[in-house]
Amino acid sequence: MEMRPQLQIQTVIKAMMEDVIPAMDQTNQLAMQSAQLTIGTLMLISQHLPLEYRYDCDELARLLATAKTLATQASGLAAAGQLAAASSAGADVLDRARAEPSEILDAIRSLRAATADTVRAVYAEGSDKVQSEVEKTVLAMSKEQLLRDRSWLLMQGWEPNPALVPAIDSLLAPIAKG
Amino acid sequence: MQMVDKDKPSPQLIATMRKQFVVEREVDRALTWKMEKRAGAPFTKLPLEALVKGVTALIAANLKSPFEVRNAHWLAGGASKLQMGFELAWGRPGVGQTTTKMVLRTDLAESLHATSRLREFQIVNAMKGTLPVPEAFWVDVLGEHLPYPGIVYGFAAGVTKPSTAKSGVSGLGTWMPPDVRNALAPQFVRDMAKLHTFDFRKAELSAFDIPQTGTENAHWAVSWWDRVWAEDAAEEVPLMALASSWLHKHAPAVDQLSIVHGDFRTGNYLFDEPTLTIGTWLDWELARIGDRHQDLAWSTSKAFSTMTEDGKTVLISGLMPENEFLEAYEQAAGLKVDAKALHYYQVFNAYSMIAMTLGTSYRVAKNGKSHQDILLAWLLGVGYMLMDEMRGLIEKGV
Repeated sequence: MEMRPQLQIQTVIKAMMEDVIPAMDQTNQLAMQSAQLTIGTLMLISQHLPLEYRYDCDELARLLATAKTLATQASGLAAAGQLAAASSAGADVLDRARAEPSEILDAIRSLRAATADTVRAVYAEGSDKVQSEVEKTVLAMSKEQLLRDRSWLLMQGWEPNPALVPAIDSLLAPIAKG
Repeated sequence: MQMVDKDKPSPQLIATMRKQFVVEREVDRALTWKMEKRAGAPFTKLPLEALVKGVTALIAANLKSPFEVRNAHWLAGGASKLQMGFELAWGRPGVGQTTTKMVLRTDLAESLHATSRLREFQIVNAMKGTLPVPEAFWVDVLGEHLPYPGIVYGFAAGVTKPSTAKSGVSGLGTWMPPDVRNALAPQFVRDMAKLHTFDFRKAELSAFDIPQTGTENAHWAVSWWDRVWAEDAAEEVPLMALASSWLHKHAPAVDQLSIVHGDFRTGNYLFDEPTLTIGTWLDWELARIGDRHQDLAWSTSKAFSTMTEDGKTVLISGLMPENEFLEAYEQAAGLKVDAKALHYYQVFNAYSMIAMTLGTSYRVAKNGKSHQDILLAWLLGVGYMLMDEMRGLIEKGV
């Protein structure tokens, strides 16, 4: 997926600064302040976005450590039982959150490149039969992925018949429990 | 693919691209120019005076008599070009002292199409007398006078869509009322037929290489977009690798070479609204000598189609059903439409459009090289619909 928030936010900020704000009524203080805050907010989002997942995992780890200590300190209380249940669920989530989003993206890009190189190699060196098999494999994988890509961007309005494209939340598999 | 720095391409990377992809000489020059300039500054808003200064220098280099540039103003130039309107008071050869409305059309720091202004200048001049085209006066091929390479055109009047029409961004999917499309459709077919039967061998088209009859023109075309994809894309897409391999493997032999416009669709001609007459064909920068089926397939792309009012019939380029279009074309041009070649170029066109949207739009917007980065980032989204169209076409087989 090439269309990612980092690029989108960067272009929105540029359009606001170079096109929208200079064309605004500079004496309209409320509008000018809102425009500046819009840019500031977008810059903040842009800074937070790559770290948000790590930020939350970091806090979850600290809370789990604290919960472990509290479990001893407050043993016997009813609240400690609830804390233990929440701690157990949280530990399971943190255990499954082993890779950062950037690592997942790197792995995707690496596999895309290796897959593409394999396709080229098969067309350069493989028999017609193998080429035909590889063609079917890549087309089948692409069909599923493109359905998700198109659903992801449905709101943009490119689809000739949007009713044929399922909603994205119905297409994405939940992150499985180990 | 991720290991090379495409934002700051090294001389070795540029040399590798040039060696790996066999394209026409002037296409190679334009793409090499793009890569050599890429590490430079992003696009910054130019004051109008900078363009006036540049156009004055360009005209002075070509015109020995006194002249004056007047009433300069910005024109909307779309996603890939900057445009300035102005009036030139000059002693026009064969006319005498006069004032002519003109348009300066220039590249950006990096454009959606890294194409040659020389080719555009030559093809527009070559088509004069065959198709209605704007007058192309002067060209700055390397940006010696202008901030970026550009062409000075005569101003062409007309509209790309009627005042009642709806369309998406960048003129995609323009909906025309029935009376308008009924009037424009036959002219659209007639002009395409004239273009494809034009004898290009007598024209001054030195910036175009003439392919050998056979599959060479198709390989050049695919390699052009292979190279754009390799130079611009953020990440590999296995389907693009498959499509490229498929296109090279199934390249059809062309029966008769033609001038191909490369972007022949509604949105790229101007018509007179009261008389509904096509008056000017625009945007020749993707033109090449190749297979007519490329234009035929382009015009029939879903990206430029609309539906009839009852939602039952697809209208190619917003004008007419595909079967009617192809039949009328065969009659007007006296050339056959080969279903296999049409299918091949449908795959090819989707491939080139994906390279432009997912590849070039991404790269230009990321590096802040245009005046409309936000539009280019928005246009990325159409790439996936196009890719699914291409996937379906390949699945259909040869």
